[in-house]
Amino acid sequence: MTLPRWPIVGRRPELEVFEWALGSGDRAGLVIYGRAGVGKTRLADECAGQAAASGHPAERVAGSRTTALLPLGAVAGLLPDGPVRLGPDGQVNAVALFEQTRQALHERHRGRRLVTVADDMAQLDAASLALLGYLAAQRAIFLIATVRTGEPVPDLLIDLWRDGRLERIDLHDLSRAHVDTLLHLALGGPIEAGAGQELWEASRGNPLYLHELVLGALESGALVDRSGVWHLEDHLPASSRLLDLVEQRIGGLSAEARSAVELLALCQPVELGYLETVAPAGVLESLERAGLVTITVDDGQVRLAHPLHARVVRAGMPKLRARAVLLAQAERLAAGGSTLGRVELRIAVWRLDAGAQPDPAALVGGAQLARAAHDFRTVRRLMEAVPGEQLDAVGALLLGEALYELGAFDDSERVLAQGQALPASERIALQLAVTRAKNAQWGLCQPEKALAINAAARAVVTSAPLAEELVADEASVLTFSGRPDRALTVLGRITGADQRTRVVRAIAGAVALAAAGRTADAVALARAGHADHVALGDEPAIAHPAMHVVNQVFALTEAGRIAEAEQVARSGAEIVAAQRVPIAQIWFAVNLGRVAILQGRVATARRFYAEAVGLAQSSRFAGSRRVALSGLALAHAMLGEADAAAQALAERATVPWFGFLGPEQRLADAWAASAARRPAEAAAVFRSAAADAAATGYRLTESWLLHDLMRTSGEDVSARLRELAEECDSPLVSARARHAAAARARDAVELAGAAGDFEALGAMLLAAEAAGSAAAASSGAGDRRAATASLRRSSALAAACEGAATPGLFHLATVNTAAAAPLSGREREVVLLASTGMASKDIAERLYLSVRTVNNHLQHAYAKLGVTSRAGLAQALGSAI
Amino acid sequence: MTPEQITLVQSSFERLGADLPAMTALFYQELFRRDPSLRPLFTTDMAEQRVKFAQKLTEIVRTMPRLGELLSYTRALGARHVGYGVRAADYQTVGDSLIAALAGVLGEEFNAPTREAWVLAFNIVAETMLEGAAAARPIGS
Repeated sequence: MTLPRWPIVGRRPELEVFEWALGSGDRAGLVIYGRAGVGKTRLADECAGQAAASGHPAERVAGSRTTALLPLGAVAGLLPDGPVRLGPDGQVNAVALFEQTRQALHERHRGRRLVTVADDMAQLDAASLALLGYLAAQRAIFLIATVRTGEPVPDLLIDLWRDGRLERIDLHDLSRAHVDTLLHLALGGPIEAGAGQELWEASRGNPLYLHELVLGALESGALVDRSGVWHLEDHLPASSRLLDLVEQRIGGLSAEARSAVELLALCQPVELGYLETVAPAGVLESLERAGLVTITVDDGQVRLAHPLHARVVRAGMPKLRARAVLLAQAERLAAGGSTLGRVELRIAVWRLDAGAQPDPAALVGGAQLARAAHDFRTVRRLMEAVPGEQLDAVGALLLGEALYELGAFDDSERVLAQGQALPASERIALQLAVTRAKNAQWGLCQPEKALAINAAARAVVTSAPLAEELVADEASVLTFSGRPDRALTVLGRITGADQRTRVVRAIAGAVALAAAGRTADAVALARAGHADHVALGDEPAIAHPAMHVVNQVFALTEAGRIAEAEQVARSGAEIVAAQRVPIAQIWFAVNLGRVAILQGRVATARRFYAEAVGLAQSSRFAGSRRVALSGLALAHAMLGEADAAAQALAERATVPWFGFLGPEQRLADAWAASAARRPAEAAAVFRSAAADAAATGYRLTESWLLHDLMRTSGEDVSARLRELAEECDSPLVSARARHAAAARARDAVELAGAAGDFEALGAMLLAAEAAGSAAAASSGAGDRRAATASLRRSSALAAACEGAATPGLFHLATVNTAAAAPLSGREREVVLLASTGMASKDIAERLYLSVRTVNNHLQHAYAKLGVTSRAGLAQALGSAI
Repeated sequence: MTPEQITLVQSSFERLGADLPAMTALFYQELFRRDPSLRPLFTTDMAEQRVKFAQKLTEIVRTMPRLGELLSYTRALGARHVGYGVRAADYQTVGDSLIAALAGVLGEEFNAPTREAWVLAFNIVAETMLEGAAAARPIGS
């Protein structure tokens, strides 16, 4: 893809200086100083472009190796067309030529000053410089010159400046905020936090580098748009143009300086003390002065100033030379006998970079250290360098886990299966089995295989705490493949209290308990699990500690503690975004989407689910992506965006089935059918998904599905919801049951009460719908005052729902459109059902009326609403919401 | 900006709720305290001015997730400000005053990530308003 014109950002004050200088009359020009790539040419062109847009003539001259050989070569475009007048001795008279040029320009542009950009002024030949100086001084042109920091400033500029006729701009790299704005405008939308950070770190605010990095990443497919958010799915590539640019910047160094730069590029940071012993005096100072290296005073470490420079120097070094430097440095550190862990990792990486015969023990040691830092790319690199026949069970575990984390699920399965065949302690055998099962469950989306791996491990792992951990892990597979009921049964078999087992039990148990309606226990278990996990530390073959926080959010939501859930999720999401833990990032976004759906903030829900879809796609977790796509379709459908919902469902159809939250995923299918005005299909999906939820231990989900069945079709679900309310401890279920019972009884007071319950929970859309039903019931009972009050309340609540277009809000439209000729209670009932696409026959059945009576009511309502058909009815209601 | 930052801007603005007029009033106080020379630029009734400002800010926050819509709004808004002689430096003062006013009204809820999100959002708005202004202003002699 190509970018639209790269915007200019953070340069408005400089453009104002130009504007002022051009308008002031006594300024002859402007000089822009700055380092390579800082945007001097871009700014100069923008100045000329703005001048041209206001009717100024503008011209660009630039020096090059060719034009420098030819006097006036660079400024040929300014010279008059006709023959050059010769002096009396037959030679070119410079003064006459300059004056002839001035007059010609004056005539050509009718007295307006020609805005002339002289890019890279130091490259111009002397004659061109002299002509530009003359024309600027005579006010025939307004000169915009760019000069690179460190290059000689032409005398003519110095003269003009001394006379106070030249404005000077010192251009610096962009700030972090400006880089952010530039990316936002150039890419046309938001960027995922980690990707923005990586582009900032690689460019350090140099606009040219940033431009090349973004273009390169777009071309290589590393930077991709996932549902409106830009993600970086691979390393930033170094394009050849970028390499050229950097090479220009660091070219021309002395041999000593070059060798210091090379050492830094390969091994940075390097201690200042050591560097001073290998680089001649003055070299470091000159590099620092040129802005090529930075020295941190605190720890005495030296680094290259720009991260790109290191990459380019490394790429340009002869292999043998790089190898010699790396091995020498590895020897130096190894000889130093340092016991610092980081050092061991660096030695391993350098030896590997040098192409030296790797010492497997050092590679594994280095990989362990990289694992501790969650640097799975390095783990993979080091462990893949270990020859296959030397890979032991511990090595297979390290490599297999890294492959899983990097989304290479098939490779992970192969490596872990091989590792299980090697001799190992029981502890390692357990971790191999658990990691392989996790890969099968979350990566390959094959829960049956995960359970089989778990069962097979029972034969090898038999001692007490480890065997119990295996049991807890079986429960974890069951919970996250959609069987919370079976998970709870399995967890009941655990009697011991080993710390690792407690942590795994909490992961599996919190979500299963919440699903089953024991939400208070679920919240408590998630909190205890997190505390245990923090005490245990970051161990291999166990979920990331942040997953307990995700579970806590899920449990709080199911407990109806919606505001609290949102708060915990927001702070959790921030932390894992900074640490880049993709699986936790995805699930925080999904949970924020769930929270927003319950709050009735449907547009917000759409945004969070879309974000989760993008994150899941980047990290290749297909099952998580499936859940996120379901949520996205649900949010679209509730906004009345039937086509977008169908599109999300079509994308979901390409992803394998994933049982976790299975019945909840089907909310999307039902709501999409409802939005597409296929009410019978919607009702059928709600019913069958509710039956599945009941059969698998998802009580909270069952209550959600049944309640939504009532919301979209009016079907009576009060009996089952009352049972569920008794079985669950969540006020969310109680409120749903109260709503259903009140709707069945057409009890206005109770409906208003249910609205109050929902409002207290923060569920504004449900509250608005219940208040609307209360209004209809009051109106049916002839209590107009109560009806008006409930309507007003419903309308106020609906205002918080971000454009939700659910059937339960259609009453607001009928009220608005029918203000002149209000519908009767019966007419409104019939219209609301008809607007969902229900046939007259079904409406008649539902309301115990004859089909003819239904049609009569419809005809009257059509007349009052000023429409002539059902389609018109739907439109009148839909557009007024 | 990240999607989270856009959400933060919107949710913190929503939390202002009924305090939006108070925030607007505080904004002008901060603005004139920082730069009294801006006072004469506002010749209209200040009460009316505050309402207008609140409306524009609401519209900007609402369209934040849809860049195309936001840009057509801010560029036009910038162009309309040309006549007042507003400069890039003034935008900086406006941004600082807005952040201070939000912090004053939201209190502890205006935490560091929220502040950062607002700074970035304002930066996008200021850059594109200035772009709109530059396109609308004839320059030079």
